[in-house]
Amino acid sequence: MNEEIIWNRLTEIFRDVFEDEDIVIGPETVAQDILEWDSLSNIQLLVAIEKAFDGVKFNTGEVANLKNVGQMVDIIIHRSKE
Amino acid sequence: MKDIKQLIKEGQHSKALSAILRQARMTSDYSTYMSLCRLRRKISSDSTASPKSANLKIAILGGSTTDFLELPLHLELETLGLGCDLFTSGYNSFVPEMLDTNSDTVRFGPDLTVFLINPFNIADWPNSGDSLQAVQSIADRVSDHWLGLCESLHASTNCEIILSNLHTLPTRSTGNLGCRLDWETNNFILRINDLLNHKAPAFVHLLDIAALASLYGVINWFDSRFWYHSRQPVSFNCLVPFVRNLSAIIGALYGRTTKCLALDLDNTLWGGVVGDDGVEALKIGQGDAESESFRDFQAYLLRLKARGMLLAVCSKNEQENALAPFEQLPEMLLKRSDFVSFKANWNPKSDNLKIIANELNIGLDAIVFVDDNPAERELVRQMLPQVKVVELSDDPAEYPLLLDQSGWLEIARLTDEDWKKTDQYHENVQRMEVQARHTDYDSYLKSLNQQALICEINPQNLERIAQLVNKTNQFNLTTKRLNRSEIETLMGRPDVFTACVRLIDQFGDNGLISVMVGHIREKALHIDLWLMSCRVFKRGVEQLLANYLFDHARKMELDMVYGHYIPTQKNKLVKSLYANMGFNLINTDKQGATHWCIEVQDYQPVHVHISLKENLSNE
Repeated sequence: MNEEIIWNRLTEIFRDVFEDEDIVIGPETVAQDILEWDSLSNIQLLVAIEKAFDGVKFNTGEVANLKNVGQMVDIIIHRSKE
Repeated sequence: MKDIKQLIKEGQHSKALSAILRQARMTSDYSTYMSLCRLRRKISSDSTASPKSANLKIAILGGSTTDFLELPLHLELETLGLGCDLFTSGYNSFVPEMLDTNSDTVRFGPDLTVFLINPFNIADWPNSGDSLQAVQSIADRVSDHWLGLCESLHASTNCEIILSNLHTLPTRSTGNLGCRLDWETNNFILRINDLLNHKAPAFVHLLDIAALASLYGVINWFDSRFWYHSRQPVSFNCLVPFVRNLSAIIGALYGRTTKCLALDLDNTLWGGVVGDDGVEALKIGQGDAESESFRDFQAYLLRLKARGMLLAVCSKNEQENALAPFEQLPEMLLKRSDFVSFKANWNPKSDNLKIIANELNIGLDAIVFVDDNPAERELVRQMLPQVKVVELSDDPAEYPLLLDQSGWLEIARLTDEDWKKTDQYHENVQRMEVQARHTDYDSYLKSLNQQALICEINPQNLERIAQLVNKTNQFNLTTKRLNRSEIETLMGRPDVFTACVRLIDQFGDNGLISVMVGHIREKALHIDLWLMSCRVFKRGVEQLLANYLFDHARKMELDMVYGHYIPTQKNKLVKSLYANMGFNLINTDKQGATHWCIEVQDYQPVHVHISLKENLSNE
């Protein structure tokens, strides 16, 4: 899947989950950069991503310890069936 | 969703809110639902966009995290017209919160507490090979622990409690052989559920997680990743049914009960269009896939009817065509007599729904509308936002499930009255026919041969009283809601006056239909609660009860009686009740409530056509 499509779709999900139409994300974005990113919204974010990208599923370790958005995109690239 | 965002951008918050609420009831998809929750939160600071009604104080406790519930529970309750203040205590802090009479939860003073437990909260498991007796005694211990906590919290707060039961686990270490083993994990869990379901006292209302998890599958219900991550007890994909079921119980406890299903006919109760295809061609009955699915939908409706739901027809049809299948097709499980109202004409369905509500004397919000035609559904949603509209699919095999999952059919309690609902409405129709034959109302009332029994609130009528107190809206002077335990505290007190009226006439028993509660201070009686079921409006019951009250006041040598009218959107009917009975207005307060009084000796008894039998028991 085209990386640009992934970033666009991901940005949309971030904006919806964190209720901020102006959020801009990049590979280095981490939870501390976004005010509302806590453990509850983290789950909401991951569930939304799993739903938006067919075939993507985060494992237990990733749910707890994703380093940054770049790692998220790597996972999507490798697992997405589209 | 785009439309709603646009409305919010334009500052049209109250329109946005209606759209959010409408959408929320149409979706069971988690992501859509959460987006709606967040949009709702965005406009929550604007008070014009929040038609807040009764603000319930709800505490949430659990052996899991519970903060995920906050937004969706707010939204879901709002779709039922309920506002709430939520209090959540930290993960797994429920033991001290429920036992300590000075805990944060107790001091919050909840009307209602949601207590969520899950299999991981079980501290004590049977060992492999334990005897049935040993397993049973552990299960008793575990369930008694939780129920004991409920008792304790109830004792210090008097709140109602919603307690979840347990889902089973996805793994079976003994495989299929486990069916035979009492000590096996899931058998043990089911045994605990059985104890909770049967031993829970009346103030505990069970949230049937076991049924929900089995409906969606344990694998889908519970996502271990998120349990390990942050103690989420339910997977987000199943959040909507979870919240919908929880809210449904709360709604039913606080009077948001559906009383009537208004049903379309063509392609809703049978396959095909009777006016075009003819009676013979309709799909209903045995031997054809679609016909069987319509038949089973009818069977489901009959089960709802059997527990007290009223059925009505609301169809665009010639009356004659609409009736034909009921008269000519033996395959039809539903008969004409199963319906308390039958509207088949070419008027807009919104008009017909209003007429049905009027005829049955129920609110529009007590009606669920079932129609396969999306255009009709949309029209009703637009014209009558109070009516609950089920989002049907185009497959009749799914109708029962979709209706079942709407969360609108929940009932908090069943009473003997409920089994007789349809009969009672039919008797009402007969009464109206008699009324039409009498030229003056007085002679009609006389012909009814009415008899009333008045008694105090007692353990036998407690359930029915609780039901009446919590769902009566129109003839209700103060609309003060009391839960079962609050009502219980009124019994047998010398400083409290209670009276319940049961009315019988020549067409049948109307059951317990009116309640009055007052307290006596010094030489005066204050009427705190006075309500009556809409089934018996204009029959003289209110005058009868007033006569009875003043008889009592005289016997108790009281001087004054005070009454209060607190206006709501639904009780305009009784605005002038006290004035009409000769009470004097003391004042009108800022909220529009009026306060009244009358000297006992000034009250003029009104003649009514009801003969009174006092102090007989209810049964």
